[in-house]
Amino acid sequence: MTTLKTYLYDEHVKLGGKIVPFAGWDMPVQYSSVKDEVLAVRNNVGVFDVSHMGEFFVEGEDAEAFVDGLVTNDIQNAPMGKAIYSPLCRENGTVIDDLIVYKLAPGHVLVCVNAGNIDKDFAWFKSKHTGFKCNLTNRSNDYSLLAIQGPKAFEILKPLLKDLPEIEYYSVHETAFENNPVIVARTGYTGEDGFEVFGTHEGTKALWQKLMSVGVTPCGLAARDVLRLEVCYPLYGHELNDEVNPYDAGLGWTVKGAKTNFIGKEALAPKKANYKLVKLILEKGIPREGYPVLNSKNEPIGVITSGTMSVVLNKGIAFARIQIDKAPSDEVFMVDIRQKPYPAQLTKKPFVTGGHK
Amino acid sequence: MATNIPANLKYTKEHEWALVEGDTVTVGITDFAQSALGDIVFLEVPAVGTDLKIGSTFGVVESIKSVSDLYAPITGEVVGKNTDLEGSPEKINEDAYGSWLIKVKVKDASELNNLLTAEQYQEFCNSSH
Repeated sequence: MTTLKTYLYDEHVKLGGKIVPFAGWDMPVQYSSVKDEVLAVRNNVGVFDVSHMGEFFVEGEDAEAFVDGLVTNDIQNAPMGKAIYSPLCRENGTVIDDLIVYKLAPGHVLVCVNAGNIDKDFAWFKSKHTGFKCNLTNRSNDYSLLAIQGPKAFEILKPLLKDLPEIEYYSVHETAFENNPVIVARTGYTGEDGFEVFGTHEGTKALWQKLMSVGVTPCGLAARDVLRLEVCYPLYGHELNDEVNPYDAGLGWTVKGAKTNFIGKEALAPKKANYKLVKLILEKGIPREGYPVLNSKNEPIGVITSGTMSVVLNKGIAFARIQIDKAPSDEVFMVDIRQKPYPAQLTKKPFVTGGHK
Repeated sequence: MATNIPANLKYTKEHEWALVEGDTVTVGITDFAQSALGDIVFLEVPAVGTDLKIGSTFGVVESIKSVSDLYAPITGEVVGKNTDLEGSPEKINEDAYGSWLIKVKVKDASELNNLLTAEQYQEFCNSSH
């Protein structure tokens, strides 16, 4: 299979980025050290090339109504200028993708989807489009996307853009970098304050180079995965997939049952979870995806969906999917690491509290 | 990839290095391996007294993002273990050749012929990456 390259590929190679295949793309996994990149984002500012993500535009008088009917979260009643995170579900309630809907202006909606799901999502959007007065376009190939993340993100980005007001967390604003139009959202996947900047390929390349020249740390997919897991954000293909519903992934809060209608509403009305997604922290050992999770009697009750070594805590952390009828009432779990059980503590809070606004 | 491959050591295709001194072989992972793995955060090696078989896995090294098996370059008994690395496996990133993992007493010296020279290992790294 041929892999795709973002417009910034040569920049990553120039910076010594290690390139790995990811969701059909050749992406930088790390530049210097995962630890340094994670800490740059937690304490200062880092930038990720996330141009592999997909962009759909929905334009026309029914734009908000069309998107609202596809997703579980409430698009219609959210104010203009808001970004809304939501699962996209089938009629039976299983998750096609998780995405962010940006309400740019009346009748003007941007939807950002996961790289590996672009074709699947667009086919789904198209199949449900009949009867709505709005145009639907997949402009994933036209846009590059940078995520500038960390407590100093605003300070770094503000002087570079034509204007950047103190927009709220999960809000969006259209402006320009040099003469290139950009869509800037106060969103991200690290738990820190930061912005995601959608722009033209050339404009984004110029912005990337500018960020490098002012000392922003380039960060790769490995740091991104540690950061998102430390603050307990789910990842499609791991915590979410074609077989689970939003409740199985702890995303019940995104299902707005009061909405008149949306695809999956009926199936999701009983709020029925088949699994419980739990957060585990280990004093010893590093949990990895696929490792079995055991109860205190050493019986298998679930599986790790994502696991890593937390850079901030220096401990193994993981999401685990537990069969709901086997979720133990006590809080003692074991993770089977190479045929040895390691005690794991259940936690209800994120492993690390990010500093997003 | 620029890499550091000392001429006095022998190597495996699984990126272990071996220092042969008499009937004892000191084993570590190469600079190429530590660089490919990234930040090393966990190490598991067998206890002194464990018997190893050439080519079998004898432990694991984990970086933040990955788990890699370690392969025995030789058959023999583990006679030493680098306890300096317990609690600070990141030393391997800083000095791959100074951070040995185990020492093995060689059972069959003819097996040493299976190991790659520095030149052969360099060629192997160039051709496979």
